[in-house]
Amino acid sequence: MSELPEYVRIVEEIFDKYKDKEFLYVGKRIQRWDAVEKIKGRVLFTADFAKYYRNAVFVYSVRTKYAHAKIKSIDISEAQRYPGVLRVITAKDIPGVNDVGYVIPDQPLLVSDKARYIGDIVALIVAEDPNVAKEAGELIKVDYEKLPVITDPLQVIDLRTLKEKEHPLIHEERGSDVVAHFKIRKGDVRKAFDEADVVVEGEYSTPFQEHAYMEPEAAIALPEADGGVTIIATTQCPFDVRKAVAKVLGVTQNKVRVIVPAVGGGFGGKEDVANELGAKAALAALMTGRPAVVIHSREESMIGHSKRHPMKAWYRHAAKRDGTLLGVEANIVFDTGAYASLGPFVAWRATVHATGPYRVEAARVDTLSVYTNNVYAGAFRGFGCPQVTFAIESQMDALAEELGMDPVDLRLKNILREGDRTVHGQLLTRDHGVGLEEAILKAVETSRWYEKRKLFSKQVGTLRKGIGIALLWHGNSIGVEGADYSSATLIINRDGSITFRVGLIDMGQGSQWGMVLIASEILGVPPSYFRVEQPDTAATPDSGPTVASRSTVMGGAAVVNAAYKLRQRLNKVASTLLGCDPDDVEIKAPDVYCRSNPEKKVSWSDVVEQSFWLGIPLQEFGYFRAPPAEWDEETGQGAPYITYTFGAIIAEVTVDLETGGVKVDRMVTAYDIGKVINRVGAELHAEGGAIQGLGYALMEEVVHNKDAYVMNANLSTYYIPTIHDVPDEIIPIFVEAKYRRGPFGAKGLGEPSINGIAPAIVNAVSHATGLRFHSIPLTPEKIYMALKKAGKTLF
Amino acid sequence: MSVIPREEWDKYPDIEITLNVNGKDYKVKVKPYERLLDVLRYKLGFTGVKEGCGRGECGACVVLMDGKLVPSCLVLAVRANGSKVLTVEGLAPEGKLHAIQKALLDTYAVQCGFCFPGVILAIKALLDRNPNPTDEEIKDALSGQLCRCGSYLRFIKAVKLAAQYIREGKEYFDESGARG
Ligand code: FES
Ligand code: FES
Repeated sequence: MSELPEYVRIVEEIFDKYKDKEFLYVGKRIQRWDAVEKIKGRVLFTADFAKYYRNAVFVYSVRTKYAHAKIKSIDISEAQRYPGVLRVITAKDIPGVNDVGYVIPDQPLLVSDKARYIGDIVALIVAEDPNVAKEAGELIKVDYEKLPVITDPLQVIDLRTLKEKEHPLIHEERGSDVVAHFKIRKGDVRKAFDEADVVVEGEYSTPFQEHAYMEPEAAIALPEADGGVTIIATTQCPFDVRKAVAKVLGVTQNKVRVIVPAVGGGFGGKEDVANELGAKAALAALMTGRPAVVIHSREESMIGHSKRHPMKAWYRHAAKRDGTLLGVEANIVFDTGAYASLGPFVAWRATVHATGPYRVEAARVDTLSVYTNNVYAGAFRGFGCPQVTFAIESQMDALAEELGMDPVDLRLKNILREGDRTVHGQLLTRDHGVGLEEAILKAVETSRWYEKRKLFSKQVGTLRKGIGIALLWHGNSIGVEGADYSSATLIINRDGSITFRVGLIDMGQGSQWGMVLIASEILGVPPSYFRVEQPDTAATPDSGPTVASRSTVMGGAAVVNAAYKLRQRLNKVASTLLGCDPDDVEIKAPDVYCRSNPEKKVSWSDVVEQSFWLGIPLQEFGYFRAPPAEWDEETGQGAPYITYTFGAIIAEVTVDLETGGVKVDRMVTAYDIGKVINRVGAELHAEGGAIQGLGYALMEEVVHNKDAYVMNANLSTYYIPTIHDVPDEIIPIFVEAKYRRGPFGAKGLGEPSINGIAPAIVNAVSHATGLRFHSIPLTPEKIYMALKKAGKTLF
Repeated sequence: MSVIPREEWDKYPDIEITLNVNGKDYKVKVKPYERLLDVLRYKLGFTGVKEGCGRGECGACVVLMDGKLVPSCLVLAVRANGSKVLTVEGLAPEGKLHAIQKALLDTYAVQCGFCFPGVILAIKALLDRNPNPTDEEIKDALSGQLCRCGSYLRFIKAVKLAAQYIREGKEYFDESGARG
């Protein structure tokens, strides 16, 4: 163990030290730093900054007319002459590399030879008046040669054989439209199925889901004297935007500065699209020498940014009569749309989680991600997990039914506990924190599961209640997807106030606040002393992307490091002022004293001032890097994630047999997230994730027609839950099975909060109706037709 | 193409309108096709008014116009000529929080906050006409206010709390006391 890096040792030391301590700030409900400003309407979001730039220009994106077509020529002359148009930009004007692909370079910023989906951009129009820019867009003449359009991934891949079919290639330059293929090979699958007492099999499908964050994408670029550019953008990943824009402009990264003001929701959707917006604004700013504004309309947002991947999956589970799982087989196909975006990583995460939080001795999983001409799919809260969790948890309920077992009992028989190995062979130790059983038991108790399960089974009449459960797990941070590091800066100013900087952004989730609470706890200084600075690539350290539920765990661990070092130095200074041992120093700003003699006090500002004169550095940079993940490409064996968040969701619904309508009455969400850091944030995640998951379960689907046009690109035809749709009650429960290498034992919650919602609701609908369902969104039409087919409608 | 061909725009010159926003009078020149939303945000600087859809579907842009809740993205600025507009910025005096704002803080409802200006004004419109609303009345009043972060359950609690504050005669609170 001696070769553990210092930054890991510090996190472990702090974990051990605080294990049984009473916390002052961590885990408490403390108003987030920007709540008052937000509620007063004073906080500025990206588009709001446009009010300050009187000579700004606006950029309009002219998008392709056809989803799949060769582009023979683009004639901009007429648009260029339109009064008020300053500049028309096409692919050939790009000084650097014409690509904004995230994982693989497959996505041109501006297309010139081929359009692959309806959001592809053929030209940018720059004008002083946004209306003029839009009008001139009509004058761009493109000569297209239409190509056959593919909207169903099963036109590309056969779900049973997993062979690529004959089809017109969307990415001919790659020679195949299969973007990625991930596998798990474990144990003797054939034997498991041969020896099984029971086998259940099912095909499942899930829809494209739209993030529908309330703030549409926006970016404002300001030209800089040295040929560089400063960009204000709504993004989750300022450092990725910087990289992408530098590449498009053909400049070094230090010439691009990205500032992220308040962000109005992200949910994974403001990752790669921000590269596109940043690049569009930067090009226009540099070509006109004026501030350039790009603001997407809602419709553009809906056709122009990534979606949650639709999944088609075939699953087979084998079990013994007593419910012991013997084996799982799965063929999973993800539709990544026209571009890979984060698709390969999504497919990888789905593969890792494809057998659920269960002990599985034999498994074969194949996950393929394929191109179609649909809107491209990428990151969305859950990142592949909500899709497979729907399939797995539906299968578990089907299995319980087949075995005549209670769904909770079947799950308890098979779940992962401390000392078990995951399907990848990863040993789950006490240090990981494995609190799934406790989460299930608490959810069962709170929801009065057994009682209601029985009671609801005896109903008659039109309105039928049902109760359903789903389990989930979620590997924390990014695993083998990339270098998993984070950093944060703490600066104690001369007056004792503290400046907090981290490159992870707040899109509403409030994880910066969690990091401040961590620093507060370690330094002994209340959160009100801190100012959270806006992420700015010129000032904040690169902390990696704000994705993968990693902010609290990874960013928090970096903060632990910075705060620990500062605290050590301050303790030393205080100990000389107070005349006791440094370990005896207690900081409770504004007071500082020795535990052995609490009467004698100095003030926090005295300690700060003294440190200044002694030349003790009052700023610290904290760094953390996750231990490398292990993954064998051929077998899926290894240790894919540093640790896992677990959870159990129980949903109660009422189904109207006359209409097929579902009302979700109540949800109990029990999550094992290790130590709760930001309690308000955790509760809001549990609620917000449940509501977004409810939308996914019952109403949300981006619909493409056969020409791959999006048929519901606005908020009156793409339904998201309104206040009328929410359950009467969402009860969040937190179980704290602590992760030793997380800050104070914390694990992540951002994404897992949606993973189990849809299957819990669908299983509850199944309980209410006695029918099984294999696709979401489970709309009233689907339920009604199924009831009708089964002869269960009342009329 | 636009309704009015570009060549003919000169026939439709900018029009000067007067607006009273948050108690202050403004004279502003607007184009005939300009939305109240853009005038408020970009000409007068009231960026507390947000644009989430531009089609009357999300509620982010609502303001009180002569006491009535309207989506400012669907109101032409000329149509607002002479009217009194209230945006979130004008709800409480400097340094103060309105009871609605205080209640939203007390219920820890804030997430990204993008929907809040609209939500707050919709609650104001509700409480102005119904000082003691039921759950169903609250839901009806907020049914046009989308919140993707999902603070809905807290909105319901906050409306009741705000109603209580107002009934108790506590319409304003000190801003400083509300910080974390
Ligand atoms: S912006 Fe006006 S209702 Fe959405
Ligand atoms: S708080 Fe983010 S949309 Fe309501």
